[in-house]
Amino acid sequence: MAKKRNPIIKLDNISKKYDEYGVAVKALDRVSLKIYPGEFVSIIGPSGSGKSTLLHCMGLLDRPSTGYVYIEGKNTSKISGKEVAMFRGDKLGFVFQTYNLIPRLTVLENVILPGLIMRRDPAKLENRANELLKEVGIHHRADHKGIHLSGGEQQRVAIARSLINDPILILADEPTGALDTDSSEEIMELLVKVNKNRNVTSIFVSHDMHIASYGKRTLVLKDGRIVGDTKGDLNNFKKVLKKLPKKARGERSGS
Amino acid sequence: MNVLGVSSRLAFGELRDHKRIYAIIILVIALTMTSFMLENAYLNYMMQVVDGTTKLVTSDAIIVDEDSNIRDLYGTESELKNAGEIARRIERDLPGYKSSIRVTAQGTYGLGEEGEVIDGCGIQGINPKKDDEISGIADKIVKGRFFRHDDPILRGHTPLYIEIKGPGGLPDFSYGAGEKLMEHEEPYPIIVGSTAAKIHPSVNIGKEFQITLSVSGKEKSFATVTVKVIGLYESGTPTLDALVWFMHADSLREIKRYGEVTGKDWHIPGVGTFRGYNPIEVDRNRGDAVIIKAPDPLHKLDPIGHSESVKEEVSSIVPFLKVYSWHDFLIYIAGSMQDVVTIMLWGSIGVTLLLCGAAIKYVMDSIIMRKTREIGSLKAFGARDRVIFRIYLYQGLIIGLVAGVFGIIISLIVMQLVNFYGLNVEFIGGTQLKVGFIINWFSILIALTVPVILAVLAAAIPAKKASMLSPVEALRKGELSL
Repeated sequence: MAKKRNPIIKLDNISKKYDEYGVAVKALDRVSLKIYPGEFVSIIGPSGSGKSTLLHCMGLLDRPSTGYVYIEGKNTSKISGKEVAMFRGDKLGFVFQTYNLIPRLTVLENVILPGLIMRRDPAKLENRANELLKEVGIHHRADHKGIHLSGGEQQRVAIARSLINDPILILADEPTGALDTDSSEEIMELLVKVNKNRNVTSIFVSHDMHIASYGKRTLVLKDGRIVGDTKGDLNNFKKVLKKLPKKARGERSGS
Repeated sequence: MNVLGVSSRLAFGELRDHKRIYAIIILVIALTMTSFMLENAYLNYMMQVVDGTTKLVTSDAIIVDEDSNIRDLYGTESELKNAGEIARRIERDLPGYKSSIRVTAQGTYGLGEEGEVIDGCGIQGINPKKDDEISGIADKIVKGRFFRHDDPILRGHTPLYIEIKGPGGLPDFSYGAGEKLMEHEEPYPIIVGSTAAKIHPSVNIGKEFQITLSVSGKEKSFATVTVKVIGLYESGTPTLDALVWFMHADSLREIKRYGEVTGKDWHIPGVGTFRGYNPIEVDRNRGDAVIIKAPDPLHKLDPIGHSESVKEEVSSIVPFLKVYSWHDFLIYIAGSMQDVVTIMLWGSIGVTLLLCGAAIKYVMDSIIMRKTREIGSLKAFGARDRVIFRIYLYQGLIIGLVAGVFGIIISLIVMQLVNFYGLNVEFIGGTQLKVGFIINWFSILIALTVPVILAVLAAAIPAKKASMLSPVEALRKGELSL
């Protein structure tokens, strides 16, 4: 059903090379990919496979060395730095492994912050932030400083914050990477709920197979290339995981 | 709220997070600006005190003949035979300028009991008609009175002109100095500095004594005249008002034979020839120098520059004569002390402020190093480079503003306390010099803008660095596990 629509994000043969101490490192190697509206995509791969680089390129935090990233059909390589910033704030929501709440701000202020950056109406933002905090189950701590919350609570706030500007795409980089098992499960269930209720396209990166299994579609990344894609069919999950090295398959949640 | 609001709000948060280190920097800058304000205000006060006296003598500029130097303004070396013509030319060619002919002489006087030390003074001729426009001495009389233009005691003297060649070409006072050769003469009225009156109890209102004046220096001629103190003036500078006294210009012209003179010579065998003249038709076009008062400048922010430009303008009218500005005279009197103090003041403040600027830069650098992940997150949320730039720039702005305002407040409190309780230091001749302050808007402006400019510039470097961080690099630095 979803595939009949235009992709929300399309990667066209993107590669990313880094120069580390004079040595060229290829983080992504000719990756092409289409993700459609409403999809809930997990990206799995061993450390150094390029999954975070892939997420950063999709989130316009980094530009590919070659190839193009299209978001809603717009070629993002053609737009200026200022427009990229506007695009990020307006269309994308980010969830980080370390939550990245501003410690001196309250939970409510943290949630509002991306809206203020995008010059939205503060009064409306506050109402929306309160709704979102209710949705992620942390409204009772709205006036607390972010730093006083547990890891799971902070990540809930981060999820609410990613939704404040009503993004078309949420990108989560190891959202459970710093959490214990129970909290990880809760956060993943919350992300599933957000994806389902709001029909917002979500892409998350994990090196944990169990966490990755929450994705309705899973991409396997190895040496900077996509080596497996369940294409939305959960029956393919075990099959595509076989593309991973044995050591990576044995990995459990970590930080 | 807008983007500016986000940046300033985050900037305030950063300042709160690092309040201790920023408080120390603010305190150092504030105290530096307090020191600047106090020293500047004291210099302003001293400047005003010195100005008051130097302008009595020079006003804005003074014209002397080409062979004279600035020292001769207190002596008898200088003479401008066509002073009247020069004075008129200045007023004609430089609209708004006022000029007055000044006659000067150098004097010595013995006071009190016999054997009391003889002191010296410069005698400046005052023209009461033009005085209010030029030097304003009338306003500075603190006791007694000023010269009246039609003062009956001004004229009708028989000045004693004594031309005696002493041994070795030097004058010898023993031949007549202090002696009154003509009977029933009225003394010359004179105005002396109030400090001189304090130093010498014999000098006071109504007192009479004799001054031997060097009236034509090049010929080494002297006149001994009786003077009577009719007024005391307060210059504020003890050194100057002890040195410079004022006599009616016509009286000095009379003494110096500036006019049509007739009379007889008295030859005293073994002593010399004494020439007495009575009366003398004074030539008011003759004098030793011409003093110039320029129109007031539009602002008083650059008094030295104004003084120099007045000098240039006057010089252009009388290129063949020497022109000394008020500032030249000030340097002569103060030996450039004030300029040196000002340079040292700015130098020491500059060094302290530079160190504060460096401290702001390095503190912000270290904060930014620890905040890269936060900067990366803000960029991920759509913050443009300039939003990040402003967060750190505003911190500099706030630090500078707070430091400047604190500096001004502290210095105002100190000045109020000193003014309230009073502070005096001993000066020349046991006189008490009051420590005072004069605040001008310029120093307040400097005390406010310099810390702001410094802190903003110091913050701009790390702010630019922070704004130029790539979002992915900034995020990676905080998430090494990925």
